[in-house]
Formats: sequence, structure tokens, C-alpha cells
Amino acid sequence: MKFRVERDALADAVAWTAKSLPSRPSVPVLAGVMLRVSDGRLQVSGFDYEVSSQVGVDVQADADGAALVSGRLLAEITKSLRALPVELAAVGSHVELTCGSARFTLPTMPVEDYPTLPDMPATAGTVEAGPFAAAVAQVALAAGRDDTLPVLTGVRLELEGKTLTMLATDRYRLAIRELEWRPEGGEVSAAALVPARTLNDTAKALGPLGGSVTVALSRGGVGEGMIGFSAGARRTTSRLLDGEFPKVRALLPDTHNAQARVPVSALAEVVKRVALVAERATPVRLSFGEDGLVVEAGGTEDARASEAMDCEYTGEPMTIAFNHQYLLDGLAALDGPVAVLSFTEPKKPAIIAPAGEDGQITSSYRYLIMPVRIGG
Amino acid sequence: MRLVIARCSVDYIGRLTAHLPSATRLLMVKADGSVSIHADDRAYKPLNWMSPPCRVEEAPGVWRVVNKAGEELRITLEEVLHDSSHELGIDPGLQKDGVEAHLQELLAAQPTVLGDGFTLVRREFPTAIGPVDLLCRDADNATVAVEVKRRGEIDGVEQLTRYLELLGRDPLLAPVRGIFAAQEIKPQARVLAEDRGIKCVVLDYNAMRGAKSDDLTLF
Repeated sequence: MKFRVERDALADAVAWTAKSLPSRPSVPVLAGVMLRVSDGRLQVSGFDYEVSSQVGVDVQADADGAALVSGRLLAEITKSLRALPVELAAVGSHVELTCGSARFTLPTMPVEDYPTLPDMPATAGTVEAGPFAAAVAQVALAAGRDDTLPVLTGVRLELEGKTLTMLATDRYRLAIRELEWRPEGGEVSAAALVPARTLNDTAKALGPLGGSVTVALSRGGVGEGMIGFSAGARRTTSRLLDGEFPKVRALLPDTHNAQARVPVSALAEVVKRVALVAERATPVRLSFGEDGLVVEAGGTEDARASEAMDCEYTGEPMTIAFNHQYLLDGLAALDGPVAVLSFTEPKKPAIIAPAGEDGQITSSYRYLIMPVRIGG
Repeated sequence: MRLVIARCSVDYIGRLTAHLPSATRLLMVKADGSVSIHADDRAYKPLNWMSPPCRVEEAPGVWRVVNKAGEELRITLEEVLHDSSHELGIDPGLQKDGVEAHLQELLAAQPTVLGDGFTLVRREFPTAIGPVDLLCRDADNATVAVEVKRRGEIDGVEQLTRYLELLGRDPLLAPVRGIFAAQEIKPQARVLAEDRGIKCVVLDYNAMRGAKSDDLTLF
């Protein structure tokens, strides 16, 4: 194997496949990325039996062949190389990488021990890459990180007609976002529970590329229990999570007793400032009234802080408390300059929705957040 | 256990000399012969003490506690306010793995935590190399051996692997799957377990024993 390629193309390709490599591989070959050259094209692949990633790059090939090298090392090397053409050649049991006057010799692992990557499941439809990535980022943050409830560490994708819905919850907050997509071949009705981290990494990498992302979902037969995403020359597959996702739609209250409209950045700043005195588990209290909003944190014995700000509020005066990190997460995810907070009661979940300057709700994103009991 | 509360002063004569001026203190003389002198603060650390083996020589107004090295603790008693002895018997020792036993008990009562349709065959299922924590049947009636730990580490996986190998030889049970269940599973242990086809289940102790956290949740 021997080929020449631009540094950026190689670095991007290796970074894409190396992201899913396991940090503690049970078999050493799984820490590798496979470089395979044939017909003037380089295929870079990574696989850990859960997630597979693959990307094709056009190269100037002098000799076909394959080599398996440490993915993490190759990713770090290609990232730090100067912007010059890179030459890679397999020499005996090593790979020699030359870029300008820099030269690296990397040991290789036996190609034949490397597992075969799973095939992409059948295409379910396509979605615009940019909006898809933005939606995933908005929803995945609400997914749980606790292994005792594996079901909640996933993002549920619901494919229903022309609507793709994403849902995630860790029992303290729930994020939901609808997105338009183009199903393949008319009617589609399917759901999948994708590990949140994998989905997030994938969307983050595919979003900036633009174009559209193909969603592939197994429906019986090939690749049962798998989902695939592809865009351009990149593709990734992931095993789905087992289990029944809780019926969370019913949690979204359909009426509210009070509603507040606040500029997102101003509220986030105030909460961040006031939360400086709040330790990790202590809440911030939001008191809404005719005069606006007062944000407070801290107890009688500890450090205390409060700050008042303007706010458009309709409803009876109300004090409600939130975990400040969860509140800030929700505000950061809003895709509008104004946050619309809807309340029913201080002990019932509140909904945060994004709105334009005029206060009209702009997108389908909803962040449902559970309040914290106020002492006493 | 002999408890004496007395106003006393203490001198330690050994490698280092130390002196405790006169004050009211608690003197504890334990069954192993050790003597410790406590003030009315701190949970466990005495002001001064003599570890066993040592002997106590009691004379009116003065105790001498001497060990083999000839070091001496001299307690000068000015006034004895309390003096009592109690037979405590043999202590069962600190049970650090009390949680582990409880987890096993809770899992036995609710085997579905391990997977839908799981039923318990028995706790402490005997094998030639010791009992397996739990033996269950899954929804398809296949045998599942479960090792329960508080903290899941490599040695727990090794232990379960040995049981699985042995149980797998029994034609009435084979094939036997393994589940490694713990409150917390170390990444190394998880890799090893999954590499051997053993499923890892992280247990939520509080949820299993029905201790609800005070936090409000959506569901």
C-alpha cells in the first residue's frame, strides 16, 4: 500500500473514524483504524462492535493494499502535521508516513484479525445535515448519564410520515424536537433508541458538512437492532439500545396558569451570576411578579445572591426553584432570542420554548424542566 | 471492658516522654489488656494508650501499665468517679459488605431488574468451588448465573467466569449465561466481562430497596 493525500483530507478522515474507537479495547486490533486503498480511493474504517465509522477519500495511489494502525496515534499525528501533502506507505510490518521533512514510522497490526464492518441497514430517509445536527445537540443534552437506567441514556428517534421527532430525558428534564425529513418511499413509521453520545458525536461531525444525512434503519432482516447515518463519503452505524422508552409525551402539560417571556442571554447571565453562591445541588429561585423577575440563590446560613431583571409576565405571582445547571442547559439550547417559560404550579414541570423578538414561539423545541422543592 | 472515670494525671515513660496534667478522663481497660485514656472529645483517638500485650499493675492511687519493651504508662489517680466492668463477649466485626448481601437479597426478590421475564432458581446455588450468588432463568428458560457485588472489579468477573465454566459442564443447566451485577462497575471489569460474553447490569440500590430520593422527578 502506498498513496499521497492532502493533510486536511486525511486528518478529517482519520478523526471521523477514530472518534468511535474504544479507549479500552478488549482486543488490540479494535484500537486500530483500517486504511485500505483500492482503485485510487482510500477507505478509513473504525469499529468496536458497537459503533462503526467509515469514510472514503480520493488519493493518488501508487500501490493498493491495506494496513491497520493505532487510530488514536494516527489521529494525533495527522492533526498536528503541517498543511502539506502526506505520503503513506506500508513497508514490511510498518507504515511510513512522510509530510514535508517530518517522518513517522508506525507499527501495524494484522489486517486479517480485523472484524468485518456491518453493512448499512436499509435507507429510511434523508434529513438536512445542519438542522439535524442542531436538533440533536438540543435534545441529547437531556439524556441521562446514569448506567442504572440504560434506556434513558439514549435519544429516541420517532420517524412518522414527514416528521422526525427526537426525545431525551433523564427524569429531571425532557427535551423534544420535531424536524421535517424526507422519508424514503412514502409512509414510514418507526422508532429507534440511539445511544445519546454516539448520536451527538455523529451529528456534530456531519452537521458542518452541509448537504443531507441519510438515516438508515433496520426493519427486520439485515442489520437488526442497528441504525446508520451517512453523508457524502462518511457513514457510521451504531447498535440501538434495548428497552422501552417511557411514554413521556403525556408529561408535557397542555395548559398553563402563568407565562413569562425573558431574553435568553440576559436570563442565562443572571442565573450564572447568582448561581455562583449555589453549590452543586442547591437550586436557584425565580420569583415572577408584576415588577419583573428576581433570581435568588443561597440559604440563610450560606452565601446569598439575588438579582432583579425585567420580564414580561402574565399570571399570579409565583416563586419556583430549579437546579441551576439544568436551567442553564435548557436556556443554552434554545434557538431563539427570547425564552418563553410556561408554568402551572411551583411543583409541576415548567416548559421552556424558544421565541423570536416579538415573543412568538418559533420552533418545535420544548425543554421540560422539573422544579426543585423549596425548603420548608 | 472496664470503664473508669477519674481525675488523673498520666506520664508516659518510653522512647518519648509525655505528660497529661491532671483532669477528669475516661480510662478504658479492654479484655485484651490494652489501656486507653480518653478526653471528652474526638470519636476514636485516645489521648494516650498502651497497646497489648501489656500488663496493668494496680496500686492504691497509681496504675502502672507496662509493655514488653519496658515502656510504661503511669496513671496517677486523684479521685475515682466511676468504675464499672462489663462482659461484651466476642464482637462479630464490622460488616463492610452488608450492602452486598442486601443487594443479593433484593435481587432475589425482584429478579426482573436483571431482565424481563427473569425468575429466581435459588440464592447461593452450590457449585464445587463455592456458591453462585444467584441462579436465575431468563424469559426463554435458559440458565443465568449472577454474581452480585457492591463494586464490580476484575476479580468479581474472574470469580463469575470460574462459576460459569463449572456450571456449563452440568448438562441440566448448560448453556449458562452470566450476569455481573453491581452498584458500580469499573471500566476494566466491564471490558473483561463483555469480552467474555457476560452482561453487566448496574444496580440502583436505593430504587431496589424502595428508598425514594427526595428530588422531584418528571416520572
